[in-house]
Amino acid sequence: MKGTVLHVDLTAGTSRIVLHEDIFSGYLGGSAAGTELLFTYGDPRADPLAPESPVVFAIGPFSALYPVATKTAALFKSPLSGELGESHAGGRLAMSLREAGIDALVITGRAENPSYLAVENETAEIKSASTFWGQSATATDRILREAESKTGRKISVIRIGPAGERFSPIACATVDGSRHFGRLGLGAVLGSKNLKAIVVSGTKTLPLAKPKEFKTVYDILYDRVVKSKEMKKYHDLGTAANVGPLSMIRGLPTRNFTQGNFEGAEAISGEQFAKDFLVQHTACAHCQCGCIHLAELREEFAPFHYSTNRVSYDYELIYAMGSMLSLSSPEDIMKLLLVTEKQGWDVISLGCTLAWATESFLRGTLSLEETGGLPLAFGDGAAYLEMLGRMAKGQGEFYRDLEKGCAFCARKYGGDEWAIQYGGVEPGGYMTGENFAITCMMGVRHSHLDDTGYSIDQKLLNADQPLEEQVRAQVKEAQWRMVLNSLMICLFARGVYDEQIILEGLAALGLKWDNSGLQEMAEKSLLRKYEWKALCGFDHKSVKIPEKMYSVQTATGLMGRKSLQKRLRLYRKYAGLKSRHD
Amino acid sequence: MSIKYLRVINRDQCIGCFSCMYACSRMVRNSAGSGKAALRVKGYAGVEGAFSIRVCARCADPDCAKACPTGALTPAPGGGVRLKKDLCISCGACVKACAISALQWDEEEKQPIPCIFCGQCVKYCPNDVLAMQEIPEKEADQR
Repeated sequence: MKGTVLHVDLTAGTSRIVLHEDIFSGYLGGSAAGTELLFTYGDPRADPLAPESPVVFAIGPFSALYPVATKTAALFKSPLSGELGESHAGGRLAMSLREAGIDALVITGRAENPSYLAVENETAEIKSASTFWGQSATATDRILREAESKTGRKISVIRIGPAGERFSPIACATVDGSRHFGRLGLGAVLGSKNLKAIVVSGTKTLPLAKPKEFKTVYDILYDRVVKSKEMKKYHDLGTAANVGPLSMIRGLPTRNFTQGNFEGAEAISGEQFAKDFLVQHTACAHCQCGCIHLAELREEFAPFHYSTNRVSYDYELIYAMGSMLSLSSPEDIMKLLLVTEKQGWDVISLGCTLAWATESFLRGTLSLEETGGLPLAFGDGAAYLEMLGRMAKGQGEFYRDLEKGCAFCARKYGGDEWAIQYGGVEPGGYMTGENFAITCMMGVRHSHLDDTGYSIDQKLLNADQPLEEQVRAQVKEAQWRMVLNSLMICLFARGVYDEQIILEGLAALGLKWDNSGLQEMAEKSLLRKYEWKALCGFDHKSVKIPEKMYSVQTATGLMGRKSLQKRLRLYRKYAGLKSRHD
Repeated sequence: MSIKYLRVINRDQCIGCFSCMYACSRMVRNSAGSGKAALRVKGYAGVEGAFSIRVCARCADPDCAKACPTGALTPAPGGGVRLKKDLCISCGACVKACAISALQWDEEEKQPIPCIFCGQCVKYCPNDVLAMQEIPEKEADQR
């Protein structure tokens, strides 16, 4: 990759191409190169919503070339955690950036008026969004697909909903057909820049340096994606297949992480969704797996009159709006998801915050006075829908606060012990045990996808493993994912892309890498992220878990204070944090 | 003798992955993107999951060739068209003349991309949306 970076300054209203070949040749691309661009263009001490704080979108060398290299990394300073903001999304964005000839898009400044950005082949135009500021994320997509339609060409549309316009730190940015830069508040950062949307398209064709080698690697990957069992789960039931099994082992967070088995799990399982509501699978551009599951929600709005909406679902969405809130009706879950999709909230953060509010109400730290007369109770789908409605309207201080996440709410209203967040970030849906808790604390994005903690926990149910080895495996995976996330391979294809095929794939593109080069890059780029986090004020020695988590049964039993401390010490040691940052 | 036709046999099974377009670009024109594909998967704004696949109908008397002012695009034996690149003036009249929007445009070379009915797109479709169908020449003549 040449490291072609399109830098748009919204304040000045200008754009220019800058070449950062050194960054892309040393760090592959995507997540690692994006972090270096954060260092280059941003100040880690700046306010996340200040005009000068940059947003970086980066793709990798495999993007749009090999199957399932579908992701784009977004890097920014998170308004939710106050440190590293990083989120990945699929859709057609990686394809469009590649065809536009751009390896990364960097946006700084603040537009004077509501605007959107139209990127076409290395050029950017800032256009007025005055007419559709305030529109939902879904309506914005429809509007821009028409306004920016290009004959015979694919376009990608990133946009925020009203939540991002209100600077909600749990606001996401939606990409194409219900794919999201979900976590850590990118929506608010775009909103603070007065930027409603970004449209990307290009006409570049991509000649092959070594067509024969390329096609050989491609066919191996294609067969693994389509014909092997590696991705079958994602294609068939999708991640929703996890609902039943996780509840079975007491790992499905239920009613604000009170227990790991949900009595309504069967009713909201992947099997049930497929049987009653699934209408179609769709795919990100250049992914033959097609894991996007679309359900149809049919509602009678007047006698014999119906509205029909398509809602995309996955495991994390069912956890956040289902078991966490004790909702065992798929329709209730889909109604909440529809509002969430339109407003543009991150569903995980939202579900955890609603669950915190419910527990607070039940414990008496919140009263009808704060909730505006609305009693909160687990299992009350209508009440949750009403809450989202009030949040969308900004109806009362409490509802305006709810969209700031549960850490903020706990600081203001109390209930810190049961506010389920790690470093300010609400976790993914795993109540598997200590390895997952370490992921949430130490993962560079506080994301379940940072390493494989939840999976190590689950394997312990079958065979014990020494604690040191567990932590070592976790750190090793965190480092390896720097490689996958810099090539921008969807993590669902992590079984498809082993080190050997990655090296062959790089060689077929004329890029010279070897095992030790990848390993070195992986270790270094992980540390660079911790370095950026530290400059933001993140202290890896003061991470903690919510107090409530010490008293609940996970899939692997109670979590211990001492063993967590031991794990943290080992994690820092194996990641190489001690020597550099102590 | 029989003639090969490219057909969309299961439109509603399409997941919109564009694997067919990538296959055409890669296998026929040694290009890694999707921009040199001779077929197109279209989505519809606001209708998630609705795709329409446009493939060359292999017309016996092609409208695209009739619209060509220079004779660059000519009817091929057995239907469909051939392109003589050096005669093409990049006017785009051929693409406009194709009512089903099946004839694609190469944005780089500014020329149409005629389908050669090789079946690579079929081979790389994960969901059996496309198929090659062979029809005896005599029957094809009567269509």
